[in-house]
Amino acid sequence: MTPADPTPWQTLLQVVGTFLRLSLFSLGGGNTLLQEYHHLAVDTYHWITARQFVDLYALAEAAPGPSSMIVGLLGLGAGWRHGPAWALLTAVAAEVAVLLPSTLVMVLAVLNWNRLRDAPVRVAFEKGLGPITLGILFSVGVTVIRTADHGPVALLISLVACGLMLFTRVSPLWFMAVAGLLGGLGLVRP
Amino acid sequence: MRDAAPIPQPPGLRALFGGMLQVALSAFGGGLSAWSQRIIVDQRAWLSEESFLTGLTVARLFPGPNQINMAVYVGAWFRGLAGAVAAVAGMLLVPFALLLLLGVVYFQVHAIPAVDRVLLGVVAAAAGLALSMGFRILRTYRRDPLALLLALVTFVALQGLHLSLIPVVLVLGPLAMLLYWPRQGAGGTP
Repeated sequence: MTPADPTPWQTLLQVVGTFLRLSLFSLGGGNTLLQEYHHLAVDTYHWITARQFVDLYALAEAAPGPSSMIVGLLGLGAGWRHGPAWALLTAVAAEVAVLLPSTLVMVLAVLNWNRLRDAPVRVAFEKGLGPITLGILFSVGVTVIRTADHGPVALLISLVACGLMLFTRVSPLWFMAVAGLLGGLGLVRP
Repeated sequence: MRDAAPIPQPPGLRALFGGMLQVALSAFGGGLSAWSQRIIVDQRAWLSEESFLTGLTVARLFPGPNQINMAVYVGAWFRGLAGAVAAVAGMLLVPFALLLLLGVVYFQVHAIPAVDRVLLGVVAAAAGLALSMGFRILRTYRRDPLALLLALVTFVALQGLHLSLIPVVLVLGPLAMLLYWPRQGAGGTP
């Protein structure tokens, strides 16, 4: 527990500062930072518990829209102790903070994309960062599997979902629903 | 599959907003990239398959969530800065409002065991989706031992040595760019 509870403004600034700082390092699709988010939100700043993190991840993943919106939920969790209105404000601030720098870079890049087409630096960037992204994605996958590991049934669901994603065109909605049903029936237990 | 015919008429700002909103709302429980391909390439024929995949690669390589970056790519491709803003707004505004609503409900009622149990199942499936992303990209690098080595080093640094993502990318990124820098006399095509 923290000795003195932060004021709403302190929480807001902490959230905005954290996500502004991370924005440009979210390589490989944003969710590569999941590990970092977990570390900061749960261990460093105690915005939410480890269990809440897992739940919010599922919520962001299951809801329509980009799953990277989990950052808004983390902001919501951080601001929740100051009441729902502040929580919503913190949530919006968190999302803007994490998106603004990276989106500006992307806008500049696309607007200059054709000019860069044959530049060696672009070729090297494209080819060089791909493998690193691959390593990051596997690391994230393992971390998420570990975080979600509530016993053999959960692990089996994870692996089946992974296989269905790779080898079939079944909409993820279906196996999320089935997995939710299995959970609701109390089958996913440690 | 036929090649997409030349775009009959480039989408305006309203169409970009609407198209991205459609993508975002279709993608319940993940699979957003697949949905954007279906809507942008197949249904609306805004981009050819090739341009779309190039955009996806660029979106993945640049920092930031790849779904948001993809929206920037599509929007800026047709309408410059204003197009990027319209596309990102379409991708985010409605889904984010919806997600915050769900988040508020979650923080109000999360103590109810049934909700927790359903989420246990959904979380396990979502973990499988996260893991599948790595495997999907792995196929691309099957025949590139250098890429696999770089990916392995990245993975071990993050998972085995528990190093933080930012220093790992700052060290391995430039190294990978050097290794993949286009060589003189390699018969590079213009």
